[in-house]
Amino acid sequence: MNIEKFQDAIKACRFCFMCRHLSGVGNVTCREADTPRIRAAFLDGVLRDKAWLSNSDFIDAIYSSDLSAACRFHCVNHFDENGLNLAARADIVEAGFAPAAVKALADSLVAKAKALKIKASGGVLYLVDFKSALVPSEAKAFGKIMKKAGVKYAEAEGGLVSKALKVLGFTAEAKEAAAALAKAINASKAEIVVTSNPAVYDELKNDMAEYGIKISAKVMHVAEYLCSLKQKFSKKVGKVFYLESDYLKNYNNAYEFPRELLKKLNAQLGFFGTNDEESYTCGEGAVVLDELKPEIVGKMAEYVKERADNGAVLAVAAPCTKAALSRVGLNALTLTELAAESL
Amino acid sequence: MVVSKKNYMYEMIRDELIDAVGRDYVGTRDADRFGHSIDYYWIPEMWHDRGMETTKPDFVVHPGSAEEVSKVMKIANQYKIPVTTWGGGSGSQGGALPIYGGIVLDTKRMNKVLKIDAESLTVTTETGIIARHLEWTVNKEGYSTMHLPASIACATIGGFLAHRGTGVLSTKWGKIEDMVMSLEVVTPTGEIINTLPVPRHASGPDLTMLYLGSEGTLGVITKVTLKIHPQPESRKFRAYLFEDFHTAMSAGADLMRSRLQPCAIRLYDETETLTHVKKVFGMDIGKGAYLVFGFDGREKIVDLQMEYAREIMEKKYKGKDLGSKGGDLWWENKYKFFYPGYMFHLPQAFGTLDTVADFAHIEKVYWAMKKAVNENFPQARFIGHFSHWYEWGCMLYARFIIEGKDVPQAADEAAALYNKVWDVAIRAAIANGGVINEHHGVGLKLGRFMKELYGNSFPLLEGIKREMDPNNIMNPGKMGFKGV
Repeated sequence: MNIEKFQDAIKACRFCFMCRHLSGVGNVTCREADTPRIRAAFLDGVLRDKAWLSNSDFIDAIYSSDLSAACRFHCVNHFDENGLNLAARADIVEAGFAPAAVKALADSLVAKAKALKIKASGGVLYLVDFKSALVPSEAKAFGKIMKKAGVKYAEAEGGLVSKALKVLGFTAEAKEAAAALAKAINASKAEIVVTSNPAVYDELKNDMAEYGIKISAKVMHVAEYLCSLKQKFSKKVGKVFYLESDYLKNYNNAYEFPRELLKKLNAQLGFFGTNDEESYTCGEGAVVLDELKPEIVGKMAEYVKERADNGAVLAVAAPCTKAALSRVGLNALTLTELAAESL
Repeated sequence: MVVSKKNYMYEMIRDELIDAVGRDYVGTRDADRFGHSIDYYWIPEMWHDRGMETTKPDFVVHPGSAEEVSKVMKIANQYKIPVTTWGGGSGSQGGALPIYGGIVLDTKRMNKVLKIDAESLTVTTETGIIARHLEWTVNKEGYSTMHLPASIACATIGGFLAHRGTGVLSTKWGKIEDMVMSLEVVTPTGEIINTLPVPRHASGPDLTMLYLGSEGTLGVITKVTLKIHPQPESRKFRAYLFEDFHTAMSAGADLMRSRLQPCAIRLYDETETLTHVKKVFGMDIGKGAYLVFGFDGREKIVDLQMEYAREIMEKKYKGKDLGSKGGDLWWENKYKFFYPGYMFHLPQAFGTLDTVADFAHIEKVYWAMKKAVNENFPQARFIGHFSHWYEWGCMLYARFIIEGKDVPQAADEAAALYNKVWDVAIRAAIANGGVINEHHGVGLKLGRFMKELYGNSFPLLEGIKREMDPNNIMNPGKMGFKGV
């Protein structure tokens, strides 16, 4: 079983409470089942008796995780309950126990993978994945900046579903989609690949290597790329509160470049909420949590709303976070949108 | 009644609970019931580890207000269903385990900070809030509760109130019971009551104190007003190594008798100094007993107090000065031990035998407990530190650890061994002037010692319980009270 590779996390996390306060989902559902401790204790049971894996209640709890990795980042020894959860999802799928909603979502993602279109560019290739495409203002803002900066680029559309398939536990399909994406990127001769979605950034940075796939282009998150431009951003964007990204901070330790960009935009950076440890991304780590568990993502957005000052501008890295926060009436802008406003 | 899915009343009761708190907040899924069947008590952890079925509640209910708690209590009384209150579930004594099934009343939905009063320096909060979240909230306004236990990340404020918890700064700022102004409580029969608004008065007996430490047997604490304090301008620590534990204890007691006001003192016995200080703080200080203390407040006053304290440590007791670095390392790593990789864990059997006594008795208690464990259980290691100090005495945080190879594989035999260690150690504490616990509570683990500890006053406690909870629905079988 895949979870066998995470026995250290199972043993460490199954009775440990030390990251309880950072359970993004647990903090809004108040369920113990939505905490790393109980998920690990359940998977401990699976190691002893595989029949536990067929329990639909536990499967539901496994798929309710926001995979923010805040727990792993916080843990003194960085035990990987997040990786354990992903492994459990793969085991659930391989055993044929994937819930119907998960299976249907995966099928739709596999269909999307076939729609991948990348035109040869040789320069900058901007990836508009299926989640970022749901926030059209993101690509528009990127286009505005590039036009002003006088940089030509090509856009890749469709496909870009590998990370979503991976978090759903469809590992083989995820690898296949990743291989197709890498082949297309390499064929495009792009020198720099830019993505607005931190999940895609992580896919290109880490998943590809895990799958043994090489990408010839340099991979950059849009904030990192915008920092590298000579373009000046002259209008002050005023006071903003930056909400950390799961994939940038917790998965890639990329703490600096979003701040560098905000500094470049002359933003006055406020301290959001009461701490910098909780995830406020509304499920960015789980990529498709908004499709699978919209009620949980809604509660997570309300949780952020309760902590936000009236009218505050919330700067976010992931388009999906912007979408979730906007749905509850918060003034959330992606880093790209803020940069475009600052031109 | 014993709830059963086979009984046609099951759905009726579930519907009534849904009416009370909402459909989303009545859990009957296996995952939810499992999640509330294991707390931080070694026995259910071991039970699960051995593949045994843990005892689960029938319903997990998440009320969002005192009014909803009240409705749940009335339903529970109607059907005589046990109600076990659950906060963070991080208690080590089994106090939140639903040993008779029934309803687990999870308080975490009641997690709002209602008011920070900058004039009186108090905060009013619902009790389901995780302590770390409350501390972060008051920190943002420049205050602190000064309640900083190792379980801050997981335990709720209600949990601390229910078992009289404490934190690392207790020596100056007190245990949770010293921090409380007033409470809102839902009684076992569903009335919502408030205790008096201030803790110091001459207006009759103190109901607040009746509920503190009652561990969910006398009602559900739903709201609390706590004292808060401005963040101190300065907090400084210093550590010393003493020749032996007795000398270090004398130095620590002298520091308290001097009536200086340290915010923390911690003294490790020789065994724990050798292991813990090196492993967790990364300091190789050699043999002896490590003692660390600190002061906080205005910097000038901190420095002056530190000067007097150093005199006691160095001139009178010849402690080896480990400097401020030796103290800062303790403060910086104060929670580190509780993370996996440092904390004891299965297959080891382990437990915290915390007790408290005055200075005239505390060393006797320590030696008696150590002797009792070592002589009866040669396979066990006994270590201890003294982490909460008072004007009159201090708390012993003793631990026993039995390595996995010496713990029986059969769950019942492992439990029997575990319980026997408690029997001899706790009885040794009581016989020498200690009590059965200082800040983890009684719960299921220590209930059997309550009659021994209280003697002929225990029937009075039982009478209070009977009067307040006529149907015995509130956490039955805990704290030595009658089961179902």
